[in-house]
Amino acid sequence: MADISKLGMEFPPYTIKVEKNKIAEFAAALAQKEDIRDIKPLYQHESTALDAGYPGIPMPPTFAISFVFWTGGGLMGIIRDLGVDVAKLLHSEEEYDYFAPICAGDTITRKMKVADMYERGKKERAGRYFMVTVLETQLINQRNEVVLNAKTTFIER
Amino acid sequence: MALLYETISVGDEMPAYITQPITRTHLIRYAGASGDFNPIHHDETFARAVGLDNVIAQGMFIMGIAGEAITAWIDNRQIRKFNVRFLTMTEPVNLDDYDNTKARATITITGKVVDKYEEQGEKRIRCDLVAQDGTGSKKLSGFFIAALA
Repeated sequence: MADISKLGMEFPPYTIKVEKNKIAEFAAALAQKEDIRDIKPLYQHESTALDAGYPGIPMPPTFAISFVFWTGGGLMGIIRDLGVDVAKLLHSEEEYDYFAPICAGDTITRKMKVADMYERGKKERAGRYFMVTVLETQLINQRNEVVLNAKTTFIER
Repeated sequence: MALLYETISVGDEMPAYITQPITRTHLIRYAGASGDFNPIHHDETFARAVGLDNVIAQGMFIMGIAGEAITAWIDNRQIRKFNVRFLTMTEPVNLDDYDNTKARATITITGKVVDKYEEQGEKRIRCDLVAQDGTGSKKLSGFFIAALA
């Protein structure tokens, strides 16, 4: 069960360069394409992105999750750090606020903390008791602008 | 053809987006791309050990597909907020029983404009959306807010 003493814990921040082939890989997965050459030109060619007025190839809206999972063992590392039982884990809600585009070539610093942790329901009622954990992630670019806030809510059954 | 605030109305529908039947290979490709290596999404023995019949899709894969539906309609940079609640699990198609399992693995994203308003100096719309499989089971519901010209 999630360790409630972790409420307020901040994960070590880290900085990564947004790489265009990583965006293409993610876009191909979402578009169910085997071949990178079959994804949208916007995610493939810098010239298409520049023509469309972006400073570089933009990320798909949910690519934000890959910053959350980039280091520390990804999702599995995060839930280990929190003492969560993976067999009981359910992702219940995800939310993004976008303040400026994130594009290939950007350098993004991820800050993440355990924003909330609480019990819902009664322990004695099997199937009606959950532990809720809320992670808040902030992505900051090389100009020190907050470009995205993410809120990830998961529960343990 | 960019969407314009003046010509869009509350009640207008977002163009529907339909996936291919989701396979285990799609889930593994997404796991690698995103960093979600929860074995419940790729290891059938683990799925069975926790009481499931099959591996299940990452919720974020279905949200990402909803993002594909949005960005087929509206530019990435116009999106201001995107929120979903996950409702039910999605099982991939069984390739040895394709006809009987493809409906549960085929996701359709639909959406409808529910509000238009000015905020922070921008003309914005709010669009509710839902992901549903071919059997009618709702996978997620959510909304996005976008700024239009």
